[in-house]
Amino acid sequence: MPASGKDVPKINSAELKELTDKLMTACHILDHEGVTDGYGHISVRVPGANAFITIANVSPGCVTRDRLIMQDLEGNYLDGAKTPPNEWPIHSCIFKARPEIVSVAHTHSKWSTIFSVLPIKLKPMHHYGKFLSADGPPVYEGVGLVRTVDRGNELAAALGKGPVVLLRAHGDAVVGESVEQVIERTTRLAMLGEWNHLALLHGEPKYLTAEELKVYNEDQRFPMRGWEYYVSRLEAKR
Amino acid sequence: MANINIPGFDSSELKELKQKLVDGCHILDREGITDSFGHVSLRIPGTDAFLTIAGVSPGCATVNRLIMLDLDGHYLGGDKAAPYEWPIHARILRARPDVSSICHTHSKWSALFSVLKGGLRPIHMYAKFLPVAGPPIYPAAGLIGTVERGEALAATLKDSAAVLLRAHGDAVVGASLEQAIQRTIQVAFIGELLHMAVAHGEPLYMSAEELATFSGDPAFPARPWEYYLSRIRDRYSS
Repeated sequence: MPASGKDVPKINSAELKELTDKLMTACHILDHEGVTDGYGHISVRVPGANAFITIANVSPGCVTRDRLIMQDLEGNYLDGAKTPPNEWPIHSCIFKARPEIVSVAHTHSKWSTIFSVLPIKLKPMHHYGKFLSADGPPVYEGVGLVRTVDRGNELAAALGKGPVVLLRAHGDAVVGESVEQVIERTTRLAMLGEWNHLALLHGEPKYLTAEELKVYNEDQRFPMRGWEYYVSRLEAKR
Repeated sequence: MANINIPGFDSSELKELKQKLVDGCHILDREGITDSFGHVSLRIPGTDAFLTIAGVSPGCATVNRLIMLDLDGHYLGGDKAAPYEWPIHARILRARPDVSSICHTHSKWSALFSVLKGGLRPIHMYAKFLPVAGPPIYPAAGLIGTVERGEALAATLKDSAAVLLRAHGDAVVGASLEQAIQRTIQVAFIGELLHMAVAHGEPLYMSAEELATFSGDPAFPARPWEYYLSRIRDRYSS
């Protein structure tokens, strides 16, 4: 794969139109669903290249086509708007460490943040958390924005092979093999956080065990229904 | 009951029932009970067949995205994408001839009480259709994607109006679709109310006698249906 340069399609090429449209829709979904605020970003890997597209220092809810940026996995500018997000290493370092990952979302979701500073783990008490392990996502303890490659690598190491890492006093990073899967996981993670919060006020809830999560994962995978539903809410503004 | 009595999926006889089913789905979405998942079913009067939504979120349901199945899950008409958890409907409708309609949701309030010890016990007359200990809880992990699981769920429900599914949600039944929808909304209302009350200490729960007194008073089931319909009217005007 080319590290960068002439073999990578242009950000506004017809080839990348569907993917960039999807990325913008995904940003607006996270905003509409109350997961992101003025901060947060989603990225998508450019197929077959060591490059990714993310939003160029703009709030997810304000993203437009002319505010997308393409960078390579070293953070070099390739195309699009010229202002990389402060925390571009979240994306580049995770893409480097995890070749199967196609999309990464970073949010300051209140439900991830609350569990990032509690001694209680965000363990699945509902099958919406079936993509997590029974003991919940790991927490990256580092302080400071993830704006250097060193911090990005530490974050990727904390994520390990998992789908989610919480960032202490900061938020989360959620990964997936498609933009749709990342949106499904990010919204589900926020729901699970809210529901765990409600349940824990009553005492310890009955969590799902590793074996029970396996049963759910052997059933139907989350179908594409979530994406259609979130798009419908976005379009109808409901 | 023989399948010979079942009207064709496209017959004018089913037109009103289909619209009512779609209305019920949008009501649950509008009232914040369902998200991208969940489904509602409606028995075709006098037959062993039912209508439900075909692999679509309740909030995106249309009359073109309904499916007709018999109580063994055989396809009888409509869109071909049966919901994964069709046995919830088929097996409860089989076990309960008095039931015409079933709602299955991932309501956060049902999900919450499904993993707590206390039970979703009535503290308000809206819960007069529930037992004093609250609805039974189906404890097993896994989506209700098989006839065996559907039968186990129906056995847990027994002659109740509602059953909670641990780490999953609820199934609420009614003698009419209007009743099933109203009860589903009331189960969520009771869940929220009880959650808030318990935060203050032990509330004054209702006794069986007190529930019977409320049940003996006259009810006006048509009123909330008209109200809920009025709140989704804008969905059909565009």
